[in-house]
Amino acid sequence: MTVEQVAPEAGRARADRTAGRVRSAERGGPTMTTRRHRAFYMFASPWIIGFSLLTIAPMVYALWLSFTTYDGISPNWHYVGLGNYRELLHDSATWDSLGRAGLFAVMSVPLSIIAGLGLAVLVNRPVQGRGLFRTLLYVPAVVPPVGAGIAFKNLFDQNAGAANGVLTFFGFDAIGWLADPYARYVLVMTVLWGAGNIMIISLAGLQDVPRELHEAARIDGASAWRTFRSITVPLLSPVLLFQTVTGVIASVQTIMPMLLAPIASTGGLTTIPQSNYTYMIHVFSEYFALGRYGYASALLWLLFVLILIATGLIFKLTSGVVFYNVDPEAKK
Amino acid sequence: MTASSLSPKSPVRFRVRVNRLVLYTALVAVAGLFLGPFGWLILTGLKAPSELAAAPVHWLPAHIQWHNFADAYKLIDFLGYARNSLIIATLYAGLVTLSSAWVGFGFARLAAPGKKTLFGILIGSMMLPQMITLLPTYLIFAKLGMVDTYWPWVLWGLSSAPYLVFLFRQFFAGLPRELEEAAIVDGCGYGGIFWRIFLPQSWPVLSASFVIAFTWTWGDYIAPQLLLSTDRSTLAVAVMTTYVAPSGSPITNLQAAASVMYVVPILLIFLVAQRGFVSGMSTSGLK
Repeated sequence: MTVEQVAPEAGRARADRTAGRVRSAERGGPTMTTRRHRAFYMFASPWIIGFSLLTIAPMVYALWLSFTTYDGISPNWHYVGLGNYRELLHDSATWDSLGRAGLFAVMSVPLSIIAGLGLAVLVNRPVQGRGLFRTLLYVPAVVPPVGAGIAFKNLFDQNAGAANGVLTFFGFDAIGWLADPYARYVLVMTVLWGAGNIMIISLAGLQDVPRELHEAARIDGASAWRTFRSITVPLLSPVLLFQTVTGVIASVQTIMPMLLAPIASTGGLTTIPQSNYTYMIHVFSEYFALGRYGYASALLWLLFVLILIATGLIFKLTSGVVFYNVDPEAKK
Repeated sequence: MTASSLSPKSPVRFRVRVNRLVLYTALVAVAGLFLGPFGWLILTGLKAPSELAAAPVHWLPAHIQWHNFADAYKLIDFLGYARNSLIIATLYAGLVTLSSAWVGFGFARLAAPGKKTLFGILIGSMMLPQMITLLPTYLIFAKLGMVDTYWPWVLWGLSSAPYLVFLFRQFFAGLPRELEEAAIVDGCGYGGIFWRIFLPQSWPVLSASFVIAFTWTWGDYIAPQLLLSTDRSTLAVAVMTTYVAPSGSPITNLQAAASVMYVVPILLIFLVAQRGFVSGMSTSGLK
């Protein structure tokens, strides 16, 4: 790429460039512009090629498979048209697992946003050592899912877990946290444990809130809660919207139920309690336990379309509510 | 505030003190709650198996079983799995950082027809559910004979990550225009401008990107679980699946000890690289 490596041509290339520059400087000539266009595509190509081959192609492949009975073993697989889709629409397992995923999203997303925002307000107060508190509250968000899964399995273990230890200490009965129907609350708590993520992002937003706004509100005699509701939340609303969308997408595709199960691998899917048997787990079981690649691909495409619809709905419903202090288009 | 409220005995002053006390109590309580699960993991890793079976719960180990950590290390090829994790994470993080910087430069400093659309797709693709693309990708990699090799991570690394591209784009867009104009007069191509002028300026972003990508890969469970056989797999998979007694029951205390050893390197990296890590996080969140 360097000039030294192409020494014989270098002189001519340089002359061309200089000429191009002179021309473009004189009358906005095409050489310089074309060169920049070509350079842009040269720079963007790793992403364009990678995105096409490793994202678009697999999605198209899955779409094609979803119209077949392909299972990876049997050579007699064939095209069945919309057969797989008809089957999944009539299978209660589809809707039950989708309902569980939806319930999990509805519980975990608002709670983690409220928790993250609350923590952000807490560590934004001018107290000594707040840097340390920020770090401590953020650390769990850095713990990898496997670490979080094992930690929560031990914390909520029927016999050896601290949660039941506290319950029995106060005279309550121990609870089978990792079994039905409580397993879903443990799943939600693993998400809440990572709320430091949202805290950090909200904190950056909080620090962008102009001081004058708070001072003006105080002079007007507004209470702390009123200031929070009428100034902080609206100014943070783009951040909160972003967190809602990514939170919903993350929660429908979580594999945490697998990590909380007694046998944590694609071979142990049947050990996942019913209440944590989410849509994604259903897809994994069709994929790996039953090897129905065609049918599972149809399930994936249904989820993909549903996520697109959900994202669109969230944006549409919040379009009047979310407040952009700076026109996001103007930033480009 | 009026002058009277500043006198030492005023009720306002008192209220400020009470507020501060409440605030500190809340902070300590919440911090304790957040550190609890990890503290419990360490405690579990220091207990004897008999203590973990007994009810009611043994809060603290009767005798601290330090040897659990050594046992967890010896029971499986811990070092081998850690090496696999290290290779995959370094390979991916190094490649994806360079490729994302390269792509980010294009989006920040160059113009072409279609760039706006492509940028829209790039940002939109951050929201694509990755688990949905992973399963068919696994089938394709299996067809190409790349299962049980590290090629998938090389390919993923070379194709850049939208999140990191965005990070680099934001950084490069903020550098002064004169930087490349001088270089163009000197006859330096855009490749040279990127390599010799922009890249050396971007150490903070490069290291943040490397740390973020390394953490992703070290923490990833599902891709190595699907793509690698047990022997070639990563520490994440080994910690999750291999601490099982011949009877089939899990060896809880050793698994807890192993997961502490698996998590601690990531926590250390985070604490060292904290600033870049956090600023990267918040940049992406504000978009």
